[in-house]
Amino acid sequence: MTGSITLRGFGWRPLGRRAPVVAGLDLRVEPGERVLLAGPSGAGKSTVLRAVAGVLATAGDGDLLGEVETEGRIGLLLQNPGDAVVAERIGRDVAFGLENARVAPDAMWPRVRAALEAVRLPYGVQHPTAALSGGELQRAALAGVLASRADVLLLDEPTSMLDDANAEGVRRCITDVVAESGATLVVVEHRLAPWLDHVDRVVVLGRDGEVVADTDPATFAATMRDDLASAGVWMPGVPAPEPVEPPAALVVPHRRPAPTLEAVALSVDLRRTDMRGTVVAAALREVDATLTPDAVTVLGGPSGAGKSTLLATLGGLQRPTAGEVRGLGMPPHRMRSRALAAVVGWVPQNPEHGFLTTRVRDEVAATSRRVGVVVDVDAVLAHLGLDRLADANPYRLSGGEQRRLALGAALAHRPSVLLLDEPTVGQDRGTWAAVAGWMRAAAHGGAAVAAASHDSALVSCADHVVRLADGRNAVPAPRVEGAR
Amino acid sequence: MRRLVPAANPLVLLAMGTLAIVASFAVRDLRTAAVALGAYVLAGALLLPSPRFALARFAAIAVASVSLVSSTWWLGGRDLEVALTAGLRIVVLALPGAVLAAFVDPSRLADQLGQRLRLPARPVVAFAAAMQRFGALRETWGQLDRTRRARGYGPTRNPLSRGRHAASLAFALLVSALRDAARMSVAMDARGFAGAQTRTWAEPAPWTRADTGLLALGVVLAAVPWLVR
Repeated sequence: MTGSITLRGFGWRPLGRRAPVVAGLDLRVEPGERVLLAGPSGAGKSTVLRAVAGVLATAGDGDLLGEVETEGRIGLLLQNPGDAVVAERIGRDVAFGLENARVAPDAMWPRVRAALEAVRLPYGVQHPTAALSGGELQRAALAGVLASRADVLLLDEPTSMLDDANAEGVRRCITDVVAESGATLVVVEHRLAPWLDHVDRVVVLGRDGEVVADTDPATFAATMRDDLASAGVWMPGVPAPEPVEPPAALVVPHRRPAPTLEAVALSVDLRRTDMRGTVVAAALREVDATLTPDAVTVLGGPSGAGKSTLLATLGGLQRPTAGEVRGLGMPPHRMRSRALAAVVGWVPQNPEHGFLTTRVRDEVAATSRRVGVVVDVDAVLAHLGLDRLADANPYRLSGGEQRRLALGAALAHRPSVLLLDEPTVGQDRGTWAAVAGWMRAAAHGGAAVAAASHDSALVSCADHVVRLADGRNAVPAPRVEGAR
Repeated sequence: MRRLVPAANPLVLLAMGTLAIVASFAVRDLRTAAVALGAYVLAGALLLPSPRFALARFAAIAVASVSLVSSTWWLGGRDLEVALTAGLRIVVLALPGAVLAAFVDPSRLADQLGQRLRLPARPVVAFAAAMQRFGALRETWGQLDRTRRARGYGPTRNPLSRGRHAASLAFALLVSALRDAARMSVAMDARGFAGAQTRTWAEPAPWTRADTGLLALGVVLAAVPWLVR
């Protein structure tokens, strides 16, 4: 039987780093075993998966120590669903691995169709990949792995960027497929609970990439729970962490009172012009929403419901097609950038798109300098756990660190309206507590705070929830009397 | 008729675009310019599914054309005909290719380059994979623009400020594209691309009669200004 993995004294030292990310790791995975690889951020879990998949050198230069042996065909699923797309049409995308393996074209298409059916994608092979949602893209990537008849399935946080419903769909697909094919499975995830029922072994890596536990799921859940939870891993049965609130001086708005922001019968059409003509998609339809000061409002609803569009329109970053946003004295989309920034702070979903400078410290100071507010940069960095990285390049930070920096960069100037787009997706418990804490503290200090999110833990911290479905209010939002 | 171009062989589309360069060499005066451009516009009106899209592309080229007209007018003896001819020559040179390039499907182009022209498979496939990411760049641009605006670094109404803003966005977009490319190459190598010196192709690279017809049309269009000189 094929599908085994053997690591002997494995280590990896990226170019330019003194200490290896992983060192002296011994691990043997038998064919057909299903292993959950757990551990805190930075323990080198992704490095191990990339080494097994044979793409460590592609991901970056460095020194490989020890030995990595694999038997059988390897399939790797990555965190960001968009990264794996290589073709404009689904069929061609799924066939990519088969082409590389020099499978004859006639033999390819039955395998492609069977794989698409196995992952429950109802579209034909000609369907454009650009029209797939995040969850569907991840299932298409899984179909690509399946069509190649992988003996070993390596999953690097495959559901961390998806909402709960989509994540569950992808997970069920994966477990069904593995049960069917008997493939070896190695999963890396931040949220462990949903996987524990589907694996038969849990390997826990420590901070320096050493194996600190190697056990069965039941023993693991019983013995390691609290240790890992405090190390930032989401553990089954452990409630969401207490939000860590920054000192009031860092978040109390510099202009008070904060405005009440009101969306009235807001409609937004998103248009895309390409060679096939102009496509108009209705993102919002006559949506009402109110963001009041001293409160946290969560804009909830499934993926594609229009949460992010509503948030951007409230923040003057998207022009409404009809309806209006009241509360700032003029329509926010017509405000000058600097005047808008003085009132509104917006945290983008992808932190990498938000960085303007090449130093963490400058990043936090940039907006305050622009709008003329004095900010204690060191205190902000200390609260976010970034004080030791003050002179680092923002792009060199880990995912969680980038998320916290994006928060500080967007909000350090103490705006009176805070807008956060999916601020907790894929984050460990430490980052979650920092984000939720900032939101709560700013609201206590008088700000109007809103987040687009499908994180149920974050919803439970909210004072108000505006639910959207298909670009409309799922239930009519109550208007606040006397609001302007 | 309007399905011909979207369904055409990508090699034919590229050839028609390249032939337009040959046509532009024959543009010597306003008469040849008008005839050459007229022939292309007529063909476009009959063959393209959406004239609006071609107009959008024209707007981009018009900027280059206008700047050429003005500089030729200032430097070339203030002769309006010479200046206009130079401007129209640029439109004839660039417009057909700019419009047709949008109809090139990256996978089908790779099929043709790899199977019909027998170019090395790895660069061809990598090129096609990169090309299909072009659409995502617009979205990234929008995100970068929003962030700058929200953080107080958006442009003012001043054209100079807008120009600086666009340049800064373009640089950020480049950085973001490089980072995406690095992540994508990991995904591709994990799917067996690293060791695939030779590969098979999931779809054939056909050449149809319609392709021959379109190519002939491209030759005729390019010949028109040479014939009326």
